[in-house]
Amino acid sequence: MKELLQYILDGLSIGSIYALIALGLVVIYRGTGHINFAQGEMALFSTLVTWWLHDKGVPLLLAIAISAALAFVGGALIDVGLMRPAGRRSAFAPVVVAIGLFQGLNSLSGLLFPKSGQGLPFPSLFPNKPKDFVSIFGAAWRIERIGVLAVVLVTTALLFVLFQKTKIGLAMRTVANDATSAKLVGVPTNRILMFSWALAAVIGAIGGALKAGIDTNVSIGSMFSVFLLSAAAATLGGLDSPGGAVIGGLSLGVIESLVGNYPHDWPASDWIGIKTKTVVAFLIILIVLLVRPSGLFGSSRVERV
Amino acid sequence: MSALLTVRGLSAGYGPIEVLHGVDLDVQEGQVAVILGANGAGKTTMLRAISGMIPRTGVVDFNGQSIIKTAPERIVSLGVAQVPQGRGTFTDLTVDDNMRAGAYVRHDHEVVSDLALWYETFPRLKDRRSQKAGTLSGGEQQMLAIARALMSRPKLLLCDEPSLGLAPLITKALFQTIQRLNEQHGLTVLLVEQNANLALDIAHHVCLLETGLIIAAGSPAAIASDDAVRRAYLGA
Ligand SMILES: Nc1ncnc2c1ncn2[C@@H]1O[C@H](COP(=O)(O)OP(=O)(O)OP(=O)(O)O)[C@@H](O)[C@H]1O
Ligand SMILES: [Mg+2]
Repeated sequence: MKELLQYILDGLSIGSIYALIALGLVVIYRGTGHINFAQGEMALFSTLVTWWLHDKGVPLLLAIAISAALAFVGGALIDVGLMRPAGRRSAFAPVVVAIGLFQGLNSLSGLLFPKSGQGLPFPSLFPNKPKDFVSIFGAAWRIERIGVLAVVLVTTALLFVLFQKTKIGLAMRTVANDATSAKLVGVPTNRILMFSWALAAVIGAIGGALKAGIDTNVSIGSMFSVFLLSAAAATLGGLDSPGGAVIGGLSLGVIESLVGNYPHDWPASDWIGIKTKTVVAFLIILIVLLVRPSGLFGSSRVERV
Repeated sequence: MSALLTVRGLSAGYGPIEVLHGVDLDVQEGQVAVILGANGAGKTTMLRAISGMIPRTGVVDFNGQSIIKTAPERIVSLGVAQVPQGRGTFTDLTVDDNMRAGAYVRHDHEVVSDLALWYETFPRLKDRRSQKAGTLSGGEQQMLAIARALMSRPKLLLCDEPSLGLAPLITKALFQTIQRLNEQHGLTVLLVEQNANLALDIAHHVCLLETGLIIAAGSPAAIASDDAVRRAYLGA
């Protein structure tokens, strides 16, 4: 029982990072109808910038803040310089451009940070020594994991306030619902899309730093599996639903953790365990999508991708 | 009396296809102007061309200012609101959020009092203010589309076939509402319709649009007495 609680917290913690990156995907999907294949590598690039700043002596939190601010500008530039011109040519072109951006950012990371191939040491944001845990309900909960979960929950809460309570959030929701009507009520849809890209990039910068902190390492390949699982989480939640992305990410993390810690002396333990945790997670998503094609909380407008 | 909207030689279309071939139109301030035309005549295209939603050439002056090169969201903030064909409400958003979205271009502090005003005018919307717009009936959605447009405090309301898909009684009530907005609130209206009988009742000025050209224009009485018009639009 103690272990179970611990696995669940571990799962919630890593799952919260999937949830955050999935939110970045949802923000773009709602505005454009496309999955941003470059979301993970945008996060990677920002994380390497954070690493570089910290390496040059900037305190970690300040380094993350600067990197997030740069990401905001970079995300907006990606929209204005790449996505919008591509979208004018054809509806599908932005997908191809995003895949190109994925490749491009990955290669650029390797060029600018040559040692990132092997992995660069990244400081944890929270105390992460073996002794740094608190006991809750008899289970040892690592402070680091609680910290990551708390940061993500606060970030998510702020995003929901932005979506639901601010004028720019209302504008984002109108664009997501019906871009033509949004224009008709005077919403500058292009500027809203630019803001969405900027916001997704900032989310990536935060999520990337949290992930690198847990791994105490950042390398070229760090964000790829995070991107895949986040995309799966967003799909599970319903691609156009921010709440769905959060629930999708958290449940995916918990499923992964529980499957990964499946006891060796239980039935079928050859099939269920650390090696198959991701496969099992994807199988569960597949089953959910068979029953609910638009995901748990998605509107039925979400097409199959 | 002065023209709030002046259109001269307006052409527009979709890609290489030109649909509107140089139309002229004046909408006088404080009046209701009606464009009548059959399916595919180009009525919707004409409203889209005025509101800047599609590329256009020619002259479009609003309130003494050329808006031919102005972006659609800017045109809204100048005082032109459009209720599109098929209503275009934000179906996933609540009635309240739809109304607030209608006020997007405003920066004054009277949005809340306007909200109260239009909820008073459309009490059914008030009852459903926290309901998603997609759950409203067709008539309620049309009311919402109009109320949302009014939230921008327009000088000119462009209204595209509001009667579409509505029962005759509801349509009648809707036209009475439009007439009341015109008479009591001084709202200038450009209305597109196929339902000629009702539209002629509230119109001050009528144009006939056929395959992208205005083929007749005049007072409702003059238009209604034209034999060709009676055959085509009044079923007589
Ligand atoms: N988005 C579009 N792309 C290409 N052609 C279009 C588009 N919208 C309309 N058209 C064409 O333009 C012409 C005029 O269409 P429009 O919608 O303006 O007619 P309408 O008078 O509003 O008709 P209705 O009463 O059926 O709404 C039609 O031939 C139509 O096929
Ligand atoms: Mg039409």
